[in-house]
Amino acid sequence: MRYVKLYFTCIKRSMLSRLEYKKDTVIALLSFLISNVCSLCSIFFILQSIPSLRGYSVVEVGFFYGFAMLPIALDHLFSDEFWLVAYRRVQLGDMDRHFLRPIPVMFQMFAETFQPEGFGELILGVAMIVVCGVNLQVAVSFGAIFALIVGAVFGAVIITSFKVAFSALAFIFKRSGPMLQIVYGFTNYAKYPLAIYPKFIRIILIFVLPFGLFVSLPIDTLLHGTYNPYLLSLGIVGAAVAFFALATLVWTLCERRYESTGS
Amino acid sequence: MRDETFPETAIHGNANRVQWAQVMIEVQNLTKVFRKPVRGKGLIGMVATLFSRKYTETHAVDDVSFSIPEGEIVGYIGSNGAGKSTTIKMMCGILTPTSGKVLIDGKEPYLKRRLVAKDIGVVFGQKTQLWWDIPLIESFKVLKEIYQVGDEDYAARMEFLSSVLGIDEFLTQPVRTLSLGQRMRADLAASMLHNPKILFLDEPTIGMDVLVKEKIRLAIHALNQKYRTTVVLTTHDMADIENLCSRIIMLEKGKIIYDGPLGDIKHRFGNVKTLTLTVPPSVDPNEVKPFSKDVEALVDEDKVILRFDPERVKLEDVIQYAFAQYHAIDMRIADISIEDVVKQILAQQEGGRHAEKV
Amino acid sequence: MLKKYRPFFRAGSMDTMAYRFNILMWVVVTVFEVACTVFLWLAVYRSTEGGIDAVINGFTYKEMIVYVVLTTIFGFVTFGSETLWIINNDIKQGTIGNYVIKPISYRGKFVASNLGSYATLVTLFGIPLYAIALGVFAGIGFLPITSGWDFVGHLGLFVVSGVLACLLNDTIGYIFGVLCFYTSSGWGLNSLKTTMISFLSGALLPLSFFPAVFRDIVGYMPFAGMSQNPILILMMKYDYLQSLKVILIALGWLILLELMAKLLFNHAIRKVTVHGG
Repeated sequence: MRYVKLYFTCIKRSMLSRLEYKKDTVIALLSFLISNVCSLCSIFFILQSIPSLRGYSVVEVGFFYGFAMLPIALDHLFSDEFWLVAYRRVQLGDMDRHFLRPIPVMFQMFAETFQPEGFGELILGVAMIVVCGVNLQVAVSFGAIFALIVGAVFGAVIITSFKVAFSALAFIFKRSGPMLQIVYGFTNYAKYPLAIYPKFIRIILIFVLPFGLFVSLPIDTLLHGTYNPYLLSLGIVGAAVAFFALATLVWTLCERRYESTGS
Repeated sequence: MRDETFPETAIHGNANRVQWAQVMIEVQNLTKVFRKPVRGKGLIGMVATLFSRKYTETHAVDDVSFSIPEGEIVGYIGSNGAGKSTTIKMMCGILTPTSGKVLIDGKEPYLKRRLVAKDIGVVFGQKTQLWWDIPLIESFKVLKEIYQVGDEDYAARMEFLSSVLGIDEFLTQPVRTLSLGQRMRADLAASMLHNPKILFLDEPTIGMDVLVKEKIRLAIHALNQKYRTTVVLTTHDMADIENLCSRIIMLEKGKIIYDGPLGDIKHRFGNVKTLTLTVPPSVDPNEVKPFSKDVEALVDEDKVILRFDPERVKLEDVIQYAFAQYHAIDMRIADISIEDVVKQILAQQEGGRHAEKV
Repeated sequence: MLKKYRPFFRAGSMDTMAYRFNILMWVVVTVFEVACTVFLWLAVYRSTEGGIDAVINGFTYKEMIVYVVLTTIFGFVTFGSETLWIINNDIKQGTIGNYVIKPISYRGKFVASNLGSYATLVTLFGIPLYAIALGVFAGIGFLPITSGWDFVGHLGLFVVSGVLACLLNDTIGYIFGVLCFYTSSGWGLNSLKTTMISFLSGALLPLSFFPAVFRDIVGYMPFAGMSQNPILILMMKYDYLQSLKVILIALGWLILLELMAKLLFNHAIRKVTVHGG
């Protein structure tokens, strides 16, 4: 399809831009790596002081943490431009040239930037899963693995949907960066087993901000066989489709409110 | 004056032939009102603004109508803040009118944005369409894909643009390393790549030296000749207008104050030249005898501005007069500015109204 | 002499006020976040021997909750600096050249502007929120106040420590901003700055949780004074002597970092070419 080819042309251009700044790319990658390591240390230090967390061993909690980084990393790779939209581009009036082109603006935002920093998080996440995974005493079933993969990939779609929707609000508020930041911050709470939260928070983290849906539930299925992995996968995919459709709708509506600034 | 504008389908002169051309741009009763919240002064005022709902309204564009046939190059001029950029943005579809409408080749751009985008090319003086850090040619490659320009068309177009704009000299350089003149030429080329039916150029020659301006004017002219591209050009440079435009639409405070052929303006307001003199303190400018009724003298402290039509009064005579009578210690010669033309037209309108009353 | 900074002071406060929607959203969401953290710690404590009354690394459950809430409010006031982005932008646009030659020091502009922000935030949110929080916690017994005067004394020291925290945050923000001279990745630097600060300042979790080896080192770093120390002073977990000690450490760091910032800025200006345009 035409848009697929167009996407790759744009991404190639994005990588060219990035290669111009090799040093900066490395610094960015390192920064994100260190950031993630810091967060990891925090949870590690806490876990050191206790025998287990609500029945989850340290290794299991580590697995949660590592796995949660996967959808976050995948989303980071593709949708980074939306941060700029939310924080600066609408406010500075830098969106005009996108509206003057015969292709959808939302597509252009995806095609504008491919962010290799996400690979840092991806590698860290995978490393954690491997390290903790080998120490898990659990029977691995094909279904559970399937659910995990679905969770990681379509979970990224859900996170991206939130990004798209909240950055679209910038068209109305001129600057929706802080709002987006806050919602994005919720992904931090997906890094823990849902069991530690009371019921109403669990419900919010499954249905409203479904970060728990694609992290906690698949892992629980792997560890304890709690849910039918195929039904769960279906649910995750369904949620992803629904959220993405909603986000596209929000974007389209907000886009109409875009007014070029200036005299 | 507005009644003298073109009827629905325009007669377009091309060399010695007269042909009927279709209307490319149609603007009907276009109005754009901007609302800004009234900002209180100081810290307390700021808090009050948080709770108030008062707004001030500015009519950036006020009931503007005109139509432009295919292949015409129109100069869209006016003083700063007159509403030019606002109109252009509505014609491009990135701003929605408060009332009235714009039709680009029969379609409303703010409703059918992506469809219209295929047929227009836009250059905004300050902002660039191109990607900053990569070689120019890479930007073109991406644009080629975005606008779905075929390989043959692309090759032909690149050759044409290179010959006319000279961009092959810096095709492999990143855009951020280009000078202003080079970047503008690059932007112009980028906007023409997909051979749009209409080209909107917002101050394309601003801040450039004379040679580069010439090049750009020639390029626009060549494009118009070869492809019958309709061009709407906003500029502050009279030379741009004289060299390119067959028609002028003049805007002031959101309203059209003149719409007609270029020849008319020059004929009406002539070729006004201004001589700005710095007069030494020993001379009282008000005491100096006027040269003749054809030379208007305006005094402003130690500066005197002499205005005249060089076709009626010889420039060298006025200069001699300035040195002899004013003992001018400094002098600057300038052509009439757009602002002056605007003032003249407005003054004429006022005068006309007075005449009617009498 | 200070008068010339006034317009920047004003601009700082007005900028903050203009973000009304964002602030509203922040409030709603922070409540949720705090709730989540509360439950996390509840789970942690419940999983420990002794449950709720256990003392983990010097904190009971009640004290931990107080700590989390107070730190969150404090973080809102001190971490809102946009300095890094403004510097980054200035470099990218090339306007940095203007500032270097103006008589107003580049650093001074940020201090004045940020002070404006802080002042507004503290008045609009800091003071009322703290009043409420402290009132509630004292009321429900989470924060036992045995002696009124003792509390007032600690409150005074808290204010001093708090001001130092704001200034430290400002300086560090500035240093990271200047680092933008060396790299185009403002985003990476910002992420690094935010995470490093929240991790090492005790905002994520009290520094007593750090393994013994690191505990002392981190305790003496400037970051500790940016979040944990002011709060612990307020919670009266530090006695007067300890409070004064951490305040002096913070002051020392402030002076040292300001010097570093100045040196770094001079070096950066000389070394790096401004993006032409």
